[in-house]
Amino acid sequence: MSQAEGGVVTSAFILLFYLVFYGFLTAMFTLTMWVMLQTVSDHTPKYQDRLTTPGLMIRPKTENLDVIVNVSDTESWDQHVQKLNKFLEPYNDSIQAQKNDVCRPGRYYEQPDNGVLNYPKRACQFNRTQLGDCSGIGDPTHYGYSTGQPCVFIKMNRVINFYAGANQSMNVTCVGKRDEDAENLGHFVMFPANGSIDLMYFPYYGKKFHVNYTQPLVAVKFLNVTPNVEVNVECRINAANIATDDERDKFAGRVAFKLRINKT
Amino acid sequence: MVKKTLEIYSVELSGTKDIDQTDKGDGKEKYRGLKNCFEPKKNHQKEELKKELDLDDHKLSIKELEKKYGTNIITAYLGCVLALVVILTGIFAYYQEAKSTNIMATFNKMIPQQALVIRDSEKKTIPAEQLVVGDIVEIKGGDRIPADIRLLSVQGCKVDNSSLTGESEPQARSSEFTHDNALETKNIGFYSTTCLEGTATGMVINTGDRTIIGQIASLASGVGNEKTPIAIEIEHFVHIVGGVAISIGILFFIIAVSLKYHVLDSIIFLIGIIVANVPEGLLATVTVTLSLTAKRMAKKNCLVKNLEAVETLGSTSIICSDKTGTLTQNRMTVAHLWFDNQIFIADTSEDHSNQVFDQSSGTWASLSKIITLCNRAEFRPGQESVPIMKRVVVGDASETALLKFSEVILGDVMEIRKRNHKVAEIPFNSTNKFQLSIHKTDDPNDKRFLLVMKGAPERILEKCSTIMVNGQEQPLDKSTAEAFHTAYMELGGLGERVLGFCHLYLPADEFPESYSFDVDTMNFPTSNLCFVGLLSMIDPPRSTVPDAVTKCRSAGIKVIMVTGDHPITAKAIAKSVGIISANSETVEDIAKRLHIAVEQVNKRDAKAAVVTGTELKDMSPEQLDELLTNYSEIVFARTSPQQKLIIVEGCQRQNAVVAVTGDGVNDSPALKKADIGIAMGIAGSDAAKNAADMVLLDDNFASIVTGVEEGRLIFDNLKKTIAYTLTKNIAELCPFLIYIIVGLPLPIGTITILFIDLGTDIIPSIALAYEKAESDIMNRKPRHKKKDRLVNQQLAIYSYLHIGLMQAVGAFVVYFTVYAQEGFKPSILADLRVEWENGIVNDLEDSYGQQWTWYQRKYLEWTGYTAFFVGIMVQQIADVLIRKTRRNSIFQQGLFRNKVIWLGIASQIIIALILSYGLGSVTALNFTMLRPQYWFVAVPYAILIWVYDEVRKLFIRLYPGSWWDKNMYY
Repeated sequence: MSQAEGGVVTSAFILLFYLVFYGFLTAMFTLTMWVMLQTVSDHTPKYQDRLTTPGLMIRPKTENLDVIVNVSDTESWDQHVQKLNKFLEPYNDSIQAQKNDVCRPGRYYEQPDNGVLNYPKRACQFNRTQLGDCSGIGDPTHYGYSTGQPCVFIKMNRVINFYAGANQSMNVTCVGKRDEDAENLGHFVMFPANGSIDLMYFPYYGKKFHVNYTQPLVAVKFLNVTPNVEVNVECRINAANIATDDERDKFAGRVAFKLRINKT
Repeated sequence: MVKKTLEIYSVELSGTKDIDQTDKGDGKEKYRGLKNCFEPKKNHQKEELKKELDLDDHKLSIKELEKKYGTNIITAYLGCVLALVVILTGIFAYYQEAKSTNIMATFNKMIPQQALVIRDSEKKTIPAEQLVVGDIVEIKGGDRIPADIRLLSVQGCKVDNSSLTGESEPQARSSEFTHDNALETKNIGFYSTTCLEGTATGMVINTGDRTIIGQIASLASGVGNEKTPIAIEIEHFVHIVGGVAISIGILFFIIAVSLKYHVLDSIIFLIGIIVANVPEGLLATVTVTLSLTAKRMAKKNCLVKNLEAVETLGSTSIICSDKTGTLTQNRMTVAHLWFDNQIFIADTSEDHSNQVFDQSSGTWASLSKIITLCNRAEFRPGQESVPIMKRVVVGDASETALLKFSEVILGDVMEIRKRNHKVAEIPFNSTNKFQLSIHKTDDPNDKRFLLVMKGAPERILEKCSTIMVNGQEQPLDKSTAEAFHTAYMELGGLGERVLGFCHLYLPADEFPESYSFDVDTMNFPTSNLCFVGLLSMIDPPRSTVPDAVTKCRSAGIKVIMVTGDHPITAKAIAKSVGIISANSETVEDIAKRLHIAVEQVNKRDAKAAVVTGTELKDMSPEQLDELLTNYSEIVFARTSPQQKLIIVEGCQRQNAVVAVTGDGVNDSPALKKADIGIAMGIAGSDAAKNAADMVLLDDNFASIVTGVEEGRLIFDNLKKTIAYTLTKNIAELCPFLIYIIVGLPLPIGTITILFIDLGTDIIPSIALAYEKAESDIMNRKPRHKKKDRLVNQQLAIYSYLHIGLMQAVGAFVVYFTVYAQEGFKPSILADLRVEWENGIVNDLEDSYGQQWTWYQRKYLEWTGYTAFFVGIMVQQIADVLIRKTRRNSIFQQGLFRNKVIWLGIASQIIIALILSYGLGSVTALNFTMLRPQYWFVAVPYAILIWVYDEVRKLFIRLYPGSWWDKNMYY
């Protein structure tokens, strides 16, 4: 065997070796991942220790959580309106009536499995009309954006099997962050009234079980914000079992955003 | 790195501008601190201009303030750690480099304080540095010669040139020109040598740097310090690692850019990849490993001055050894005796304990009496408890040898001398070449005086008319004279210094008890004496040397003797220690055996060669190369310092790693030039010790062999350490690559990587330095400087592409497990990166429809870091175990023989536990408390690594030379 041939044979051996070796490694990875995924259920996560306090978030979602409205400049808020239209579409009364139950307010809508899988679970209606002036239905002011009285929607993060409020009523409140912010913020109204969130929307049973789950919303309509000033607004949920003072997680049970109405 | 640090500082400086950014929920904090450096510029400049002054720091308490700027502190943290690593590494490097060789300073110390000079026909004492060429100086016994001087008149002057030429005996000086070579001629006194006895007057011919010794000094300091082999290897390794890091970095930079990542992000990826690839802890590990070995060697009497030299000795392929003191005991010792027509061998071992020659003959009785009495050397008093061979003696080397020899055999010599009272004496001088004394005998019935004489054998024989055989005086006839000459030649041929002994009982009638002997008029007979015997002395080899030379041979190391001594003596010692082995011959030997002329001998037949300095002088470099390659056993005799340097350079031209031993000032240039210079601790001059990389505390050649063994072991073990360290680089790098390509949430952070590199991995990698050799490392050839690299292709491929990949896969399984069990299944993780890291997205959905705030995700990400870290750590335990051996099974090596490994593994686990459970709440470190079961997820992979490596080793042992062996053995 010549040296060149020997080299080719060796290279072939090496190639074969790497094929086998990496093939084996892939198989091993697949096997261990499969074994691992057997420990994970399809319906509920194994651990929820990170989600003890649900976070709050606003809509419209803007780049830096700042709602800036130039009243005269339609383009500045048009995209917000588009987003909100899309976001609120599933809340249309017709859709809600078609898919979801009318539940009894003031108590949890529990659907226990009782040994047999109770699947899929029903969800409670949250009708768009509940949002009143902020529902955007037949609203020429486009959620108030065209008149400088914008609506901001607040929602609480979904957490599986979380009994928010610990059987007591809860609501969302908003304040100006500092004294001057409070002054500049002016008056606002909330929908549903008092910014309350009903217990019937809890607990959440997860994407797979709770197919048509509709997340409750609180809309805030700012009526007379001092124009051309940036206002820091902070909204938090007042619920017995939701702490809103986490120092590290600035979104635990609360949300802060900036509001600026530019008028010429 | 420097640039990076600056950027970190710039974050701190621009901190105040970030206030409202932090206010909004520090949404900008990204997976890596570095990112923040760029953020302010990117997002805020434009707003900055529009905004009115919005400062609220004055309203916050200090605690709140800290909290507020917490993110910036975390950002700076990584920078600080990296900067610290760079600084510490720099200090380490500096510490190693900063060993200046102050050779010149040592030479300065040699300047004699005063010189006696004749100026303006007046004797003056002036400081020696004020001497000028042309000054006439006087020197006497005990003085240091203040400059190079040409001797004008001499009275019995002897000088000690040992520091200059290596000759251990005092050299007589005269005013005659005796040799072409300035170092050999007798009419020159050299600067810094000592005048032992007599007086002399001379003219200063050279001062300061122009003296012979000054030239050697400038030669020594002029010789550049060669890079040590290990430094070259580490540089090679750095090139490999750097090459891999930079090419992967650039490759992924290009990939990242083509995946439409922001260029700035891509640069951050590039830096991240390079950080993941650099084994930050390695320099410290190597330094500690080397110093551990250095410590171990110091215990075995090898003091290592330059840490890197520890390994150099292991790769040594040629040792150029000095003779005197290193191979020999550096003291004259009686080696042979000739009496009763017979040569007897005396014990020359270090303690003389075993004198086995026949002492029953009457001749021995007479001879021993002469040896005892005709000797002026004395023990210094108060040494009764000291072993005889170690006692300090007043007297010259030969007399000392004789005194100790007789003390060992006969007992108290001083007592014998007292009983045989000395009445007259003529000391040895170079004109009559004998020494004589007359004694009363200790036999009270014998009133005769005994005249004893010793001296140069031919001179002694001239004075004799009879010879003693078996205690009886016989006339000295031709045949006995012939026997004498044969013995004399034979002993002389062994390179030994031969002395003849004779005596005469003076007739009582002519020399009564009251007779007054006068040594000036010589009123006693000095001819027709009775010849008793011959005695020969040599500076014998150390008893451990032959064995050490054999070991060097079997370790593939060529031992070359380089000495200033005479070729005959050099050859004799070379033969007796095995540098010239028993059955090999020089060209001259063959010529003599075959009775043909030297030119006719086929040079290929001779294995050994003895080359003198004079011959060497006429050789071209090519001839020297030829000599060095063609002969396996070489002795260089009568060499000058420059020639030692030439020899070393010649050896280095053969691509050999050359070790040079030496003690004298004359050796220092060669010591410096050598890859490793080894100076003698006891006999060595300061200049030699300064020029050397290593000092043998016991002056024993055998210690070098220990050093070679340790050096080879450390090379092997460093290989293991580097293989161990490199492995996890892939496991640290892969997450980053997958993060860029697939867009998973970052599996491991840079700080976490640093905690592996500088935390958990440090002690195990040092522990590998304690690993015992796998086979007899002294039975293999020295490594080839250019071929046997510390880090070769096999090592890199096996560490990176085999074990490293397994580790990466194993660690990823732990990572996926954590994410899946918290709600993010692997399927959802792909391409999640942008949303995941966006601080504005505080309602990110997981696989179950739950929504996560940014901080909740961040915490999960840190848990992922911790999980990945633990995954790597668990597999590194398997890695350190498999690295114990490269060829043998771990069970052959013994799993528990190296206890330090287990200490290392324990440290690894403990550090990881502390990081996770102890410091899990310190967010800056990005560690979280990990559920106990996650610590065991990677265990199957750890076991796989072990099994895989055992299989690799098994095939290497089963099929040596196969493609497997060639590609899998590192």
